[in-house]
Formats: sequence, structure tokens, C-alpha cells
Amino acid sequence: MNDKVTIRRLATGVPGLDAVLGGGLPEFSFNLIVGSPGSGKTTLAHQIMFALAAKDRPALFFTVLGEPPLKMLRYQQQFSFFDPRKVTESIRFVNLSDDVSTGNLDQVLARITKEVEASSPGLVFVDSFRSVMLEAGHQSRGEISLQQFIQQLGIHLSGWQATTFLVGEYSADGDPHPVFTVADGLLSLSQRVYRNSMVRQMQVLKMRGQPTRPGMQTFRISSAGIELFPSALVRDDTGAPHEAAGARRTKARLAMGVPGLDDMLGGGLPSGYSMLVAGPSGSGKTILATAFLAEGVRRGEPGIIVAFEQTPSQSRTRTIDDMVRAGQVGLINTRALDLSIDEIVQRLIDLIHRTKATRVVIDSLSGFELAVAPSFREDFRESLFRMVAVLSDLGVTVLMTSELEDRYTDLRFSPYGSAFLTDAIIVERYIEIDSRLRRVLAVVKVRGSAHSDELREFEITDEGMVIGKVVRDYEGLLAGRPTQTATANGVDRAGQR
Amino acid sequence: MQTTDSHLLYKTIRMTLEHRARSLPDTNATPEAIAATWRLMEAQLAPVIGARGLDVLFRRAQHQTVTTFPWLAASVDRGGSTGPLPSLMACLATQHAAAAAEAACALLSTFTELLATLIGESLTERLLAPVWAPPGPSPSEQETAS
Repeated sequence: MNDKVTIRRLATGVPGLDAVLGGGLPEFSFNLIVGSPGSGKTTLAHQIMFALAAKDRPALFFTVLGEPPLKMLRYQQQFSFFDPRKVTESIRFVNLSDDVSTGNLDQVLARITKEVEASSPGLVFVDSFRSVMLEAGHQSRGEISLQQFIQQLGIHLSGWQATTFLVGEYSADGDPHPVFTVADGLLSLSQRVYRNSMVRQMQVLKMRGQPTRPGMQTFRISSAGIELFPSALVRDDTGAPHEAAGARRTKARLAMGVPGLDDMLGGGLPSGYSMLVAGPSGSGKTILATAFLAEGVRRGEPGIIVAFEQTPSQSRTRTIDDMVRAGQVGLINTRALDLSIDEIVQRLIDLIHRTKATRVVIDSLSGFELAVAPSFREDFRESLFRMVAVLSDLGVTVLMTSELEDRYTDLRFSPYGSAFLTDAIIVERYIEIDSRLRRVLAVVKVRGSAHSDELREFEITDEGMVIGKVVRDYEGLLAGRPTQTATANGVDRAGQR
Repeated sequence: MQTTDSHLLYKTIRMTLEHRARSLPDTNATPEAIAATWRLMEAQLAPVIGARGLDVLFRRAQHQTVTTFPWLAASVDRGGSTGPLPSLMACLATQHAAAAAEAACALLSTFTELLATLIGESLTERLLAPVWAPPGPSPSEQETAS
């Protein structure tokens, strides 16, 4: 017989939060939501309350001196989760201002106890408990101390089988407030402003009895409320196939949609691989990525493109537009400059699950870096690693483009040092021959597979990318100053065909 | 009850006062009905918006109603601790029952409309639903009947 207590976990109704909490909110837990003004504490409390409150699990929301209740109700109604039908039916607001203004914590505790015992709520919120503390601190007329007040409140509410949230303007940094030790759960909200971008983050500092996701988790507040983007979780590689990859991971190779390129790759791009296409501006990276998606569409393999355009009018290639409009390719297009990589990864994962996509294009890493909030840029490489790992877990094949300045003194494939993250690399370059700018490409790497080592000239035509012959009879191509070898008898020049 | 329809709101409040007055002894029936209705509104709203929020809204409603009923100016309480009701009742007592009822209806309508502009019609309706009298025949039915 299993006589251990089973703690029921409640779904918070905040997208992403249950995963961060380690499976939901423990029932009858005593939680604190802390953070600076404007960090979203009341919104989080309301969103959880409206999601969980029901006739058989009524909620009591105690308002204290902080935000005037009229204003709180007025502004919280702007969120779609605010359901006026639940107010009075399963949610009751109780204003404690008069009790708190006496500064007598016994009286406040007695009032809360009376209200709780009268309605036996499943959920109790006190917004904000800092106001309770401040007022008690100013007047100190209570018989019990603040610590005792919180302890007694915690004991009473848990005993009365209420899941409780105290909301307060506290910083979880520095010396922990004694009240933090009483709490079963501690959620700290913050907003960081760096130049023109603002990033909201949440940290679960404590949640008794369950493994929470460590670190800062970014979130957004929209008209739908709070949406959390849990940091991508990289699994330990045990060698066993990941369940999540499911049917997507096969031993097949994917056709690239550019004649000749599959042969160069040793028979196509292995399924589940991530490929980096690096090259200077205008060298044809997006065209290669488009061909990759179009080939997928032809073969019934759905695709997704994550694009980072900077001006709305800047249309992507017609083919991509057509495929997106026809619903054959999913599009995540963002011009926001305050993204976190986790947010993009979350949107991408949702879309992959929804569309059952097997091909993903990220065009480009350079635009991605620009779209990421400045405060995340220092972690860009690490986040990129997590993203590639998560996509690999899902078994999708990823093609990322990367803008690479032509350097003729060194051979680099990525400005992020991310080349090692990818399983395959194609590099595109410009070379000058006969006073003409010509394009060449080479397959630099295909992990675990034989591949071509040729430097091939290619053209971009109305039909797409056309790979030509090997550039023979020249040397020093990658140094940018090719010279004809002694045995040269001409190059297959585009202009002379 | 739609708070956006001033006419309908006024009518509902009037019916509530009449309904409540009918259940009271003749003497002072109207003032008592007004007081009972306000106390119910207070009981419904004070826990939600706080006594201070309630007081501010009531004074704003008084301020607006005074333009139609200038004599109500005497009811404006200057910061008493007993709430706005005693001074309102004292002021209404100086008028005929019909005039007092009309002013009280206007005041409570304005108050309800003000609340709806701040917290929305839907929430206002939910919070104040227990205050209003059981629905009688709708105005259209009444018109048809007459």
C-alpha cells in the first residue's frame, strides 16, 4: 500500500508556467509573488485566479492599500482572461483597507480568517501583503509580529485547504525577507530595461517538493495576459533515440532542391541535421533556403521559415510568399527588437507541432541576433546551442543562414563561432575573375558522411540556383585573388556560355 | 439591466424603490426604501472597491445630479465619518415624497453609470444584480398593456 501523500498539481492557466513550476502548482501551497512595480504581479495573480476559480473552487481576492481596487478592476478587465461572469459566482473581492489602516495585525488576521471560514475558498490572494507589512510597521499596534502574522496566515490557509498567493513589491535579491522562508513557493518577477528594449523575466526561486526549471524565464504581457517562454531544455544524450523526435527522425537524406547539391552533400542532407549556409550579402543564401523549403513542399514535407525582416515592405522571394500564402510553409516573421531566443524557440516548437513540419529555415542568424534584446546578445551563442539541440531533439532538419563578410585572410564560417554547433556547412563566396564578380560554393562539412570537396561556381537565375562546374585552373580563390594556373585553358565562365 | 441605457436604468431603480416601499409601512416608506437600497449597494460594492472608492463615486454622482436637482447640494457631506447616507436622508426629508424619489432615482442611476464607466457594464451588472427588485413586466410589456 502506498501511504505517501499525493500532492495534486493545479494547471495555472499561464502558458509556459506549469512547465517552469515542474508540472503545475501544488494544491494548498502558500506562495509569494514578488517583484518591482509594473513587473506583472497582479496580472499573474489574476490570470491564475480566473483560470482556477470555479464554483467548487471559489477564490477570495483580498485587496489592501496598494493599487486602488477600482483601478485594478478597470485595468485587469483589459485582459481576455478576465471573465466578469466569474466575479460573484466563483470570485469574491474583499477590501481590507479599513482593517489594515488600523495597523493591528491581529485584526487583519481575524478579518481574513473570518472571510476564509465563511466561504471556504480554494484559492486566496492578498494583494499586496507589503502594504499590510508597511502599515503594521508604521503603526506597530499589533500584538503579534509580522513574522508571526505570516506564519499564522500560512498555517491557517493551508489548514483551511486554500492555495494561497501573497503579492508584494519585494526584491528577492539580497537578504531574504523572513517571510520568504515561510513560503512553499516563491515567484520573482522583474523587468530589465536596456537601451530601447525591455525584457520581462520570471524566476521560480522556490517550489517545495518539485523540480522547477532553473534560471530566468522570459515572458510577455499581451492582451491575453502573461505568456512564459521556458528556457529550452537540452536533454542529456544517452544515445537512445528521443521520444519527441518520433517519426520525424529517419535515416533518410533530404533533397535540397538545387540540382547537383545533393551529390555534393554525399546524397542529400541527412534527416535531423542542422546546416549552416554562410556567405556574404547577396550571395544566394536565402535562395538556397527557399529551394530547400520548396523541395520539401514538392515531396510533402511541411516546412517553416523563421524570418527577421527589418521593413514590412521588404518582401521575401516570391516563392516563399506563395508557399506561405498557400499554407504550405509556416512563417514566423518578427521585427521586434526585444525577443529572447527562448520566445522564438517556443513559437517554433508550437508551430512544428501544429504543422508537423520536418524542415525549418532560420533566415538569418544575423537578423536573429539583431532581433534579440541587447541584454540577451551576450548569451547568443549559448542560446543558439540550446535552440539547435532542442530542434535536433524534435528530429526536424534545420537550415540556418549566416551573413558572413568575405574575408580573404582567414577562413571563417560563422561570426558566432557557431559552426561547430551544426552538422553540415555550406559556404558561399564571391571571387573576382576577369573583372567579374562570380559566386562559388563548397560543402565544408557533413558530419559522419562523405561529401564533395570541390569549389563549384554557381549562378542565380530566374529558375533559382544553378550549380556549375568545378572552378579549375585557378588557385588562390579563397584568398580573393585567383590566378590562372600554368595549365589553364579557360574557366567555364557564365558570360561566355 | 443595461447600465448603458439610462432610461431603462432609471426605470429599474424606480421600480426597485417602489417595490421596496410597498413592503414598508406608509409613513416614511419612500425614504426608507431609498436608504435600504443604498445600504444594499454599499454592502455589495464596499468589499470590492473599498469604502473610500465608494465614497468618491457617490460624491461624484451627487455633484452631477445637483445640476438637475439643485436642492440636493445640501446633501453633500463634507467628509463625515458616517458615510453619505445620513446627510442625503436629511436632505430628501425636506422635499415631497415624489420629488425625493425622483432625485434619489437620478442619483442612484448616475452612481451606477459612473461605476460602469470605470469597471465596465458587465461587472457592474453582476455586482449590483442582488440590489434590484425582482424583474416585473418589461417596459415594452407595460406599454403594450397600457
